[in-house]
Amino acid sequence: MKAFVPRVEYLIELSRASLFSTSATWPAKKPARTRARIKEERWRRCATFRTRGVQGNVDAKTLQSPKFLDMSAEEEQPSRVAIGISFGNSYSSIASTVGGGDPKVIANEEGDRQIPSILAYVDGEEFHGTQAKSQLVRNSKNTVAGFRDFLGKDFKSIDPTTARGAAQPQEHESTVAFSIRDSESESPSTVTVSEIATRHLRRLAASASDYLGKKVTAAVITVPTDFTQAQKAALVKAAKDADIEVLQLITEPIAALLAHDRREDHRPADKTVVVADLGANRSDVAVVSVRGGMYSILATTHDYAVGGLKLDETIQEYVAKEFVKKHKVDPRETDRGLAKMRLESEACKKALSLGSSASFAVESLANGIDFTLNLNRTRYDMLAGKVYGRFVQLIQDAIVKAELDVLDIDEVLVSGGTAHTPRIASNLGSIFPESTQIVAPASDAAAINPSELTARGAALQAYMIESYDTEDIDQSTHAAVTVTPHLAKSIGLVLTGDEFKPIIPAETPLPVRRTVNFTATSDSEAALIRVAEGIRDIKITQPEPKAKQNGKATDNDEDDDEDEDSEEEDEEKRETMWKVGNVVGELALKDVKKGSKVTVQVQVGADLEITMSAMVAGKSGVKGSVPGSAANGAAH
Amino acid sequence: PAVPNGWSGEKDFKAVGKLSAATARNIEPVGAHFLAEARRKRHKRTFSEDERI
Repeated sequence: MKAFVPRVEYLIELSRASLFSTSATWPAKKPARTRARIKEERWRRCATFRTRGVQGNVDAKTLQSPKFLDMSAEEEQPSRVAIGISFGNSYSSIASTVGGGDPKVIANEEGDRQIPSILAYVDGEEFHGTQAKSQLVRNSKNTVAGFRDFLGKDFKSIDPTTARGAAQPQEHESTVAFSIRDSESESPSTVTVSEIATRHLRRLAASASDYLGKKVTAAVITVPTDFTQAQKAALVKAAKDADIEVLQLITEPIAALLAHDRREDHRPADKTVVVADLGANRSDVAVVSVRGGMYSILATTHDYAVGGLKLDETIQEYVAKEFVKKHKVDPRETDRGLAKMRLESEACKKALSLGSSASFAVESLANGIDFTLNLNRTRYDMLAGKVYGRFVQLIQDAIVKAELDVLDIDEVLVSGGTAHTPRIASNLGSIFPESTQIVAPASDAAAINPSELTARGAALQAYMIESYDTEDIDQSTHAAVTVTPHLAKSIGLVLTGDEFKPIIPAETPLPVRRTVNFTATSDSEAALIRVAEGIRDIKITQPEPKAKQNGKATDNDEDDDEDEDSEEEDEEKRETMWKVGNVVGELALKDVKKGSKVTVQVQVGADLEITMSAMVAGKSGVKGSVPGSAANGAAH
Repeated sequence: PAVPNGWSGEKDFKAVGKLSAATARNIEPVGAHFLAEARRKRHKRTFSEDERI
């Protein structure tokens, strides 16, 4: 979805320079970083440009690492093997771009791509992932789960309920720890959350190393947008203790978008995207402006109480009631019964995302009674309606927080395990206009598995930066580089009849350069090119009064009233309109012949200096610039 | 494009107004396009200089 749709006579093409490369393929193989290789790369690059001239296409290959080598240290570094890690409270996953191709999520030894973030100890032996998860029933005291959000926090600020059913977190010095029997000795030992995270990451890296046949030494790890510096530092330390160098921590919504955008085989569009990360015990929404392949977060919302676990609970409650009806015992009263119900509810929920019915079956649920029950999706969706509503609300809140309207949203990308739920996609479809693309498996056949998005994004980023020096990465991600002025209003051209055509949308980071090409529709002595700011307006068209109905049916007034009330919302038409705002500059272009190609280029510097030029193909053009308002940014 | 009437400007160009003040935001340091941007920034290069290299 583009922010603006070119009409027939306008062929709007985004500037090659601002977009820089096509999102095509990464180089199949990465060159080893030897001095000879660097020299050769440089030479070849120069040669290409010499033969092609300055205007040559800059393709993905030249965009890759060699350019960074221009200034990097000459000495060789031992090469890294980097993977992407998505580290969640409930599930983690690992991904790698094998041989430079598409990112691939790696399954562990048990064949799981979604690896439960759980560790369990039985007689000193460590279990991880799904094996550890099954220990929640028999050995819950020595099983650690739901611990990611405890990292880098003191005991008072954590929500211990995320560790439900497993070993309870306790205060330990300035951090959080668990008391578990992780060795063969009878007495439990105190293990800090940092140490638990280290063990978890070590297991993840080991699984990736086994798969890749090479020892994994580095990773890009995803974190929520609201992770504090202390949490990030704690995560980096935990990884370091597991012998993993953290190349970069990237945020979950951006990782998901990166993986999603990689799928699209065209130049990155300018778009505004809502990324809804629906996890198990929390949900996070981010509104992101995507401009020329760069991402800026406009607003985020978080709900720490709603997620997939709430959906599991609706199944649990339903089943428990049925069980009580039949056997007069509540299976939730015993820890073991509750643990069994939790595991089965989750399995049942997953089955309901795929099929229209699923069975809930537990052996010896309570008092030694086996229990089986069939649940269909319609009933489940009804039970879960409230939870679905909260997801939708969280997304709406995020859009309001970004001071936008649902009409401004081009795509909604749902990631996280809960995003598999078909009903969530259809509920979202009903609040957004038809032009908004809802990217979820249920509504978009080409959607990437939402559980894999963040890990894939991390793997892509890891691949892009693994050959850089640590210093380069640190400097590039420094605030001095990332904090950037963004356009407050869209810039575009004023067309005949005060119509406005946006060229550069609002929230585009500066500097930016964009070019539009169009074909003149008529001859003219001189055409005026007016560059102005645009104001986005939402036009609301009220439904037309139903004169007919009033005249026709006087006998059933009451029914009519009801109809009108319910239809009003449906028929109220809201659409995006553009108004011409502040005009910035005007250019007069002489002798424009019908059918000749006109190119208009607008460039905005970081100091808000705006340079515009217009050119008729084959002739010289006009150029001018309006100085910016310097450092204080007061433009009025 | 509209046709002017009695319009004039130096070298066929007329500056009319200035842009509204920009908002300072954080770009997420992720993706190939960001890396290209970061490189331009650190070397203080413009778009066209960057293309030439």
